[in-house]
Amino acid sequence: MRPLPPLLAIPVPPPQPEDVYKLEVLGTRFSFHGLKRLLGAADCSKAGDRHAGLAAKSELEREAARTLLSGLTLGHLYQHPLTDDRGQVDAVMRVNYDIDLQRFAALAELTVGALKDHLLRAPPGELAQIGTALTGVMAAALVRLCDAHELVLLAQKLSRPTRARTLLGAPGTLSSRLQPNHPTDDPRGLTLLFYAGLAVGAGDALLGVNPAVDTVENVSAILHLLDKLRRRAGVPTQICCLGHIKTQLASLAQGAPVEIMFQSLAGTEATLTGEFDVTIELLDEAYRTMAARGPLGAAARQFMYFETGQGSEFTYGRHHGIDMSTCEALSYGLCRRYDPFMVNNVTGFIGPETHLDNFEMVLSNLQDHFLGKLLGLPMGMAPCYTLHSHITLEGQQMATALLTAAGANYYMDVHLNGDRMLAYFDTSGHDVQTLREVHGRRPAAEYLQWALGRGIFRETADGAIERGPAWGDLGQFLSPAELPVLLAATPAMYGFATAGPRAADGVSRRARLNQAAARDAIYKELDVAQLQAVAPFRLVRTAAGSKEAHLHSPALGARLARECELAPEGLPVQLVVSDGLSAAAVHHNLGELVPVLLDGLRGQGLACGQPILAPYGRVKLAEPLAERLDAELIVYLIGERPGGDALSACSLSAYLVYRLKSPTARAQAARFSGNPDIRFEYSVLSNIYASGVPPLEAGAILLEKIADILHYQAAGNRLEACRAAGCGGRPAPASL
Amino acid sequence: MIQQIKLVGLDFGSTTCSAVVAGARLYEDRLSGRRELGEVTPLYRSELAFTPLAHQPNEPDELIDLEAVARLLDGWLAAGGVQGPELFGGGALITGLCAGKANAARLAELLRARLGEAVIATADDPCLESLVAFLGSCAALSRAEPQTPFLNLDLGGGTTNLALGRAGEVLRTGCLRVGARHLRFVPGSYRLTGCSALGARLLAHLGITRQRGDELTRTEVDAVVDYLVTLLEAACSGQRAPLTTALGREFEQVELRLPAELPACTLVFSGGVGALIHARLRGPAAPPNTCYGDLGPHLAQRIIDSQLLRRPVRTDENAGRATVLGLLTGCTQVAGSSVFIARPDCLPLRDLPIVGRISLSASAAELTDALLLVRRSPRGGALRVTLPEPTPAALRTLGTRLHEVLQALAFPPTQPIVLLLADNLAKVLGGYITGWRPATFNLLVLDELTVGEARFVHLGRAHEQMIPVSLYGLQR
Repeated sequence: MRPLPPLLAIPVPPPQPEDVYKLEVLGTRFSFHGLKRLLGAADCSKAGDRHAGLAAKSELEREAARTLLSGLTLGHLYQHPLTDDRGQVDAVMRVNYDIDLQRFAALAELTVGALKDHLLRAPPGELAQIGTALTGVMAAALVRLCDAHELVLLAQKLSRPTRARTLLGAPGTLSSRLQPNHPTDDPRGLTLLFYAGLAVGAGDALLGVNPAVDTVENVSAILHLLDKLRRRAGVPTQICCLGHIKTQLASLAQGAPVEIMFQSLAGTEATLTGEFDVTIELLDEAYRTMAARGPLGAAARQFMYFETGQGSEFTYGRHHGIDMSTCEALSYGLCRRYDPFMVNNVTGFIGPETHLDNFEMVLSNLQDHFLGKLLGLPMGMAPCYTLHSHITLEGQQMATALLTAAGANYYMDVHLNGDRMLAYFDTSGHDVQTLREVHGRRPAAEYLQWALGRGIFRETADGAIERGPAWGDLGQFLSPAELPVLLAATPAMYGFATAGPRAADGVSRRARLNQAAARDAIYKELDVAQLQAVAPFRLVRTAAGSKEAHLHSPALGARLARECELAPEGLPVQLVVSDGLSAAAVHHNLGELVPVLLDGLRGQGLACGQPILAPYGRVKLAEPLAERLDAELIVYLIGERPGGDALSACSLSAYLVYRLKSPTARAQAARFSGNPDIRFEYSVLSNIYASGVPPLEAGAILLEKIADILHYQAAGNRLEACRAAGCGGRPAPASL
Repeated sequence: MIQQIKLVGLDFGSTTCSAVVAGARLYEDRLSGRRELGEVTPLYRSELAFTPLAHQPNEPDELIDLEAVARLLDGWLAAGGVQGPELFGGGALITGLCAGKANAARLAELLRARLGEAVIATADDPCLESLVAFLGSCAALSRAEPQTPFLNLDLGGGTTNLALGRAGEVLRTGCLRVGARHLRFVPGSYRLTGCSALGARLLAHLGITRQRGDELTRTEVDAVVDYLVTLLEAACSGQRAPLTTALGREFEQVELRLPAELPACTLVFSGGVGALIHARLRGPAAPPNTCYGDLGPHLAQRIIDSQLLRRPVRTDENAGRATVLGLLTGCTQVAGSSVFIARPDCLPLRDLPIVGRISLSASAAELTDALLLVRRSPRGGALRVTLPEPTPAALRTLGTRLHEVLQALAFPPTQPIVLLLADNLAKVLGGYITGWRPATFNLLVLDELTVGEARFVHLGRAHEQMIPVSLYGLQR
């Protein structure tokens, strides 16, 4: 177990007044106020940094910043810790200073540019040693000076193997983390996707499920299921359920097989604690608990698993003016404290507000991979995307080609690329096998022996590993009677036929056709005339003036346009409809849902303002609308982010946004949430469409929830608590 | 969300009885709210026991020995680790000759009292028996080969339950009084120890004048078995001549109406005789005898030699327990998550008759006729509701009409009116019926149910917001 020095025992220089970094290039003067500005401007242009106002305005400005950065010494960077919005060094920054000071002393006079040259000339072993002497900020400064070839070449010199039940990241290997996520954690779906992954030689890094519901009961149930499946298959690998670290600790205490402990991390303490509900102390506790009581015992040298990715700090507005890749490096500095078994980078997951296109995603992935490896981490990569960005499958594949050359430890296996629970697109088991064949890589040794025994792989006379007769054959795990039962419980399954290491063309075509239909839905405009036939909508404009602005800047859709004129009406209910991320969902459901809703409100004697249609709107628009109209409850119908199949593009959500108008309700909500400034509470009904909750029935369900919210003067978790406690002024509604 | 629950299945047949206690998962699909039972895993399988029968004073025929049944039941439940109230569902069937016993109804009462409100217990429900036998015997096989029609023959002591299904769903059911135990012998011999009334008529029809204590010749035994197998062949082939004679009609309890355009179906045998057929198909077997004191081995061998076996035959390791396994899931459904129940405290509701059917376009007169039937049933009643291609306007019209008819018929506020739907529309229909105001009727609208041709419905108490629904008494 790695010793965990107390935070206050880690020496950190006191914050300094910001320097101004200046350079004149052919008569143009550039100046950057503070190290944060300089780092931001020196990186390649990415959507998140542009939105944060940190990206350079021109290539010349960027190169000027790089030139300045290249000339700064590591000592200068050491003496200038980046601070939070209060001007203080936060806990994540402090952990980053837990470096080998003796080795650093020998490097302190090197400039960042000289460090890069030194690393390019150095033998592989030296890079890893130098990494122990670098803070995240120093590593972040370095990667800004590296082009794509350099990011690949330098990373390729670094090897970071780790050991649990399998040895991960050994030279010559390429592993995969099997991710059999299911939108409802249905064990049948999890089982099918688990076996589909094993059949294509996936899962040697980890069998890991992101739970749809993060409760101790559910996380434990998933872990026990994975454990049972793993044992039944006899496959030597490790399992994990990616719930919150608190949930996993509770599951472990109850005897669940938490073989690997997972947590998402961020590069600022404000994000880590305020958004992820994690502190350094909690991470320390989890690490010590796993070292003492982890089910793998001494067989595992490492047992922690972290996920990171550029942009989370920006998305939550908790980046303190630090650009995305520097935040990511700081996050790695935190990961390093716990000597993790694996670190998974999911840059691209958030959406176009952080990474707009293939170039931004590919370059960020190359940076992150090198950053992580340099700082001593076993980097697995998940170059990924959502359908409302401009990133494509081919862009993702180009990223993996470069990352494999750079020596990534593993990729994800998300069956046919589309995650059924998280509605994003990642690598597949077919991709991993393709890359193994192109780059001459093999799975982890223990797993390989198992797979050779089953005929999933075979060894040629000259010792090469190739696909065996059982590769891709699901029949080795499931009987013909079992398969249809599992298939019926699993969405977006397009077949298991293969052609070489790839999915057969018929399978790919179905998957891509569905994906294209889903992406198409995002760019469809609302048909106002069609919707006016459903109800007499009044049009309200948001600050997003176009589809592109709406998709790429979520904040714009949450604000009313300046010219919007709405007067207080003082009615209890207001219906609002927006396209959100799928106009198709609105078109598909409104004709049935809205008449039921309006009939029911009328029947219940609840006054409702003239329905509002707000193109390019986001859910948070409900708040200014409620304030302007003086409405008590906004019923907000909005298209969901489409996933991997065409049907899901028709899925609508209904948010019931309760405005805490009465001081009593507000005080109760503040007590319940711990947030003294709370003004709104949210309840939600999702998956409204023909294959989910039918829109007719959804209308009736919403009416019941509306009555409940107004009765209890509460929404969200507090509403459930009120219902359970039976508090409120009138008898609880009778119908179940 | 996943919950673990327990189910029980009990089968009291002509010859044997058995029990299975199973654990299952209750799935709730958070996308659609749909609920269903899955991963039914037997936790305990009893040994097959002879159905306890005993002669009572002044009774010409044997009766079910209820005290012995109670002892058996206690032992099974204890071995299965269950208490009656914790059971989510399941079923107990009293079948074949056992169902014809004079005290069969008292056995059903005993089972209900012991197993709690969640489990249905019913006697002589041949189509339900056929359905659950199919579910227990070949539903999984049928789902795996959805294009192949499967015909399951559940051959027991008193009856043969027939069910035709495709893709896991039962399409048609039927029942013949063909079984191994219409004639009973001293085991290992052909000395007659008893016969059912139908068995006696069959002997007379064949000109066999043997009495209890007499020994039948092998030729006579073969004649009996030939006759029975001819009836099976007729039912399975649709060449119905043997079933249209006077005696043939007596043997046919429920006609299996085969679809006109039916591709060749694969046969699956279950039940006690089915298990003997499988044993004989698997390997060499001794010549048939009466080691079980009945015609089972003879029937099995004769079926193997018959026209029936010219069709493809599939075997199933659960053959002997098909009914009891099918009971575990075939009897209990879970209503959808968004049901409409005006008075939740009215649950459970036991044995409500399903008295009619209404559709989306029903007129006020049709609705009145249907609801009058419910009104006249003192304990309430249920209606099937079909809602093809519903629109808000059509639901509004239907709801308003139903509201008016309910008011006109002056339903007492406690009399249950249950509407059973296949589609997920319970709450919206309930809302339109009540005008979105507090209900003045004891209205229950339950959805996402496969009602089929059931004649009775049983609604259990809500179990973590999930309502078990049992449907039985399938129409013949």
